[in-house]
Amino acid sequence: MANDLRIDVFDPAARCEPELYESRANVLKRAFAAGGAIVAGGVLVAGLPRSAASAPSPAQDAEILNLVLLLEHMEADFFAEASVRAKLTGELLEFAEIVRGQERAHVAFLRDALGRKARKRPSFDFGEATQNPTAFSAAAVALQDLMVTAYNGQAANLTKGALEAAAKIVSVEARHAGWIRAITEKNPAPEPTDSPRTAAQVTAAVNKTRFLKSD
Amino acid sequence: MPIEPISDLTLDQLDRDGAIREALDGVSSRAGFLGKAFVGSAALLGALAAPRRAGAASPSDNAILNFALTLEYLQAAFYTETQRLGAIGAELARVPRQLGGVERAHVAALQDVLGRAAVKRPRFDFKGTTEDQVEFLRTAVAFEDLGAAAYKGQATRVDSPALLAAAVAIHSVEARHAAWMRYLAGFTPAGRAFDEGKPEFEVRRIVASTRFIVARPRTTRRRRPRFTG
Amino acid sequence: MIVASGAVGDSGSPQAPGALEAPALPPSPDPALTVPTPTPIRRGATSTWAPVRRTVLARARPEPDADAIARLETRTPEGTSNIVIVFGRRRDAAGRLWVQVRLPVLPNDRTAWVPRRALGGYEVVRTRLVVDLGALTATLLRDRRPVFRADIGVGQAAWPTPTGEFYIRNRLTNYDSAFYGPLAFGTSARSAVLTDWPDGGFVGIHGTNQPGLLPGRVSHGCIRMRNEDILELGRLMPIGTPVTVR
Repeated sequence: MANDLRIDVFDPAARCEPELYESRANVLKRAFAAGGAIVAGGVLVAGLPRSAASAPSPAQDAEILNLVLLLEHMEADFFAEASVRAKLTGELLEFAEIVRGQERAHVAFLRDALGRKARKRPSFDFGEATQNPTAFSAAAVALQDLMVTAYNGQAANLTKGALEAAAKIVSVEARHAGWIRAITEKNPAPEPTDSPRTAAQVTAAVNKTRFLKSD
Repeated sequence: MPIEPISDLTLDQLDRDGAIREALDGVSSRAGFLGKAFVGSAALLGALAAPRRAGAASPSDNAILNFALTLEYLQAAFYTETQRLGAIGAELARVPRQLGGVERAHVAALQDVLGRAAVKRPRFDFKGTTEDQVEFLRTAVAFEDLGAAAYKGQATRVDSPALLAAAVAIHSVEARHAAWMRYLAGFTPAGRAFDEGKPEFEVRRIVASTRFIVARPRTTRRRRPRFTG
Repeated sequence: MIVASGAVGDSGSPQAPGALEAPALPPSPDPALTVPTPTPIRRGATSTWAPVRRTVLARARPEPDADAIARLETRTPEGTSNIVIVFGRRRDAAGRLWVQVRLPVLPNDRTAWVPRRALGGYEVVRTRLVVDLGALTATLLRDRRPVFRADIGVGQAAWPTPTGEFYIRNRLTNYDSAFYGPLAFGTSARSAVLTDWPDGGFVGIHGTNQPGLLPGRVSHGCIRMRNEDILELGRLMPIGTPVTVR
């Protein structure tokens, strides 16, 4: 629900994040008591305690959601434009029209959750990618794959509330990815896992498209 | 066009042999002295169990891993059997081959991280759904939708960030599979803008309603032979 | 990593107007699970069996009004789940799924059709037992390769071990009978002559308290082997293994 993501409202749960207040030794002791194993070298293998700087927080949620909001804006605009300009027919047209509506819903959700912290609406120039079915298909495949790996890359950085919402969105983005690949006779799921992309990798990928005019 | 739900039956009516409870609790029925089918108590028993190999998860994460493992066993067995029987059309043959390989890889990964804490593979009766193209697709759609919903339902319950990273990387593949199967079956691959997760008890109920998990047939007996000799 | 067309990639280009700056966010932790590369299933000579879930008439053709050939019970005379080997399937005009099965009835080597719903879940085995009545040997193959061989005793001339295609139906253990040795397998093969034998005259594979008679034509149809051999076979041969007797 959008209310859970009111990031501009102070989140009392943040005060309770023990990692922000305990010493590192106490954190390790707690993790060990919870069943994690200490291996040679005294370092926990699973459940590495986070440093205070990178623990989930409402502020970090806002950064992350603004990053994926940019991607959602890009997709919403891309599909809106392509569904009228790319001379799409049949399955491709149906895909573009349905996905357009769903990406618009993602944009609306994220803007509402971010409130005053939502980024300014970016503007895009898609060039040839929205001019014909072939260019559209290639770009759509790439954008959907990027979307999935971008969300996956940030999942562990989100607070629980933001994670729950993000999971509902990335699930649909992954469906879109499978769908456009099926339409274009590519393997809908070529890998057994969708490896995460870092924020830097996502940003670089966006820049490489040259779709972004101003953010 | 939505899939008709497979008829619902309660877990208690179906689970005569305890196979489902055992699979979903992550507790061997021999050790289940608490006798409850709740994840909480299973987590407690997990903490008291023999030491796990290094790198294993918290007791609560172990229970989640075993829950995921049961669903992956189900999917892997379904696709493997479909491929082996070779009864669906040639144009679809690639589907069980590819999805079977991926789900078997998911099983291997979960078994590896759980070590001795991994639940055993259940026995299955797929009741003809691996032997007919229409039934296969319908069931594959249901499995992949359910798998994705199950992972979403667990995402916020995972303790370890490393496990969460692994889970989301698998979850999106299940969603891709779901879209693909729906596409092949003639259903819309993405029905809504937001996919809901399902809590564990709801996933259990749906799995139980299929009656795909069955007891081992008794083919061994302590009894004197009366063969011709 | 999924490779797309040139439109989107990972390598960054120098900052241009309209270029995005990366927010400072932590990388994802190394995933706790290592998912291996998917591998294909091993193709080999497999055989599929299923338990009989409800008593059913097995028919000559996959149609509800075809001639009934035999009645399949859910239990064997030994009290174990009755099982059949499944090797084909077909839908009838009404869309019901039927499967073709090997029957444990006389005459030996019969096959027939039953509704799929009469059977339970499938199990696959990779083994086959080959019984050579001439050479007096039993050889277990796994993925078509021999993994076990033993000298055997087989039926005397008056009570021959039947030839043909059969399967292992059950395993009996922990009984007190030196005659049968420590372990006995029941097969789907039936003696064609001992039709009045208690429990139907099924041919078994079992140990013996007279190993000195092996190899030889010594039994009433059963296949006997030394006790250490039957125990080894017990470790290697799963229920449902097809048995070829020639």
